[in-house]
Amino acid sequence: MALDVAGVNTYTEELGSTPRSCRSDMGKMPGARFAEQVPLNFLLFLHRLAEEARTNAFENKSKIIKPEHAIAAAKVILKKSRG
Amino acid sequence: PLQPLRAKPVPKGLRAPQRKTREPEVASSLIKSIFSHYVKMSVSRDAFKIVEKCSERYFKQLSNDLEAYSHHAGRKTVEMADLEVLMRRQGLVTDKMPLHVLIERYLPLEYRKLLIPVAVSGNKVIP
Repeated sequence: MALDVAGVNTYTEELGSTPRSCRSDMGKMPGARFAEQVPLNFLLFLHRLAEEARTNAFENKSKIIKPEHAIAAAKVILKKSRG
Repeated sequence: PLQPLRAKPVPKGLRAPQRKTREPEVASSLIKSIFSHYVKMSVSRDAFKIVEKCSERYFKQLSNDLEAYSHHAGRKTVEMADLEVLMRRQGLVTDKMPLHVLIERYLPLEYRKLLIPVAVSGNKVIP
């Protein structure tokens, strides 16, 4: 464990009240929280797309993902991600 | 009579090329890195182009859906609840897979701190 002054300081800041970087964001509207949620949805979408494309490629016994696999996957996943 | 000096008109071909205004989009390198992280297979270059086009289409669809949801609720602002409903409709969030678990699993720690309330010492909850 770091016993020097700087190390102790960071340690107490972590355990203590909100870190400074978070504080500025917290005061904002709920929009701030929403804006961080869209990337999550996009990540999940890409994950699904990747899985689908991979299964397509496996079915065709192909070692690499070709455009036709990606197109077929895109059709299915875009349909699934309709709200 | 002397004619006033005039600047020679520059022929069209020599003018500085104007930058085309482009649609805002997610950086293709980011899409590429995320996609190749998830597939764990080699992907051909044309397939990446398809993925990019697909993600563009996806954002179009997403914004239309979110607009419909917030309009239905009589708001002009899209809120967290709208997105959660959308993800429920997409089958991402279910009763067995709550939203917080997805956030924990997919987003880096900095985002997680902002999205999930955490109790810290002194009985404070952030955010």
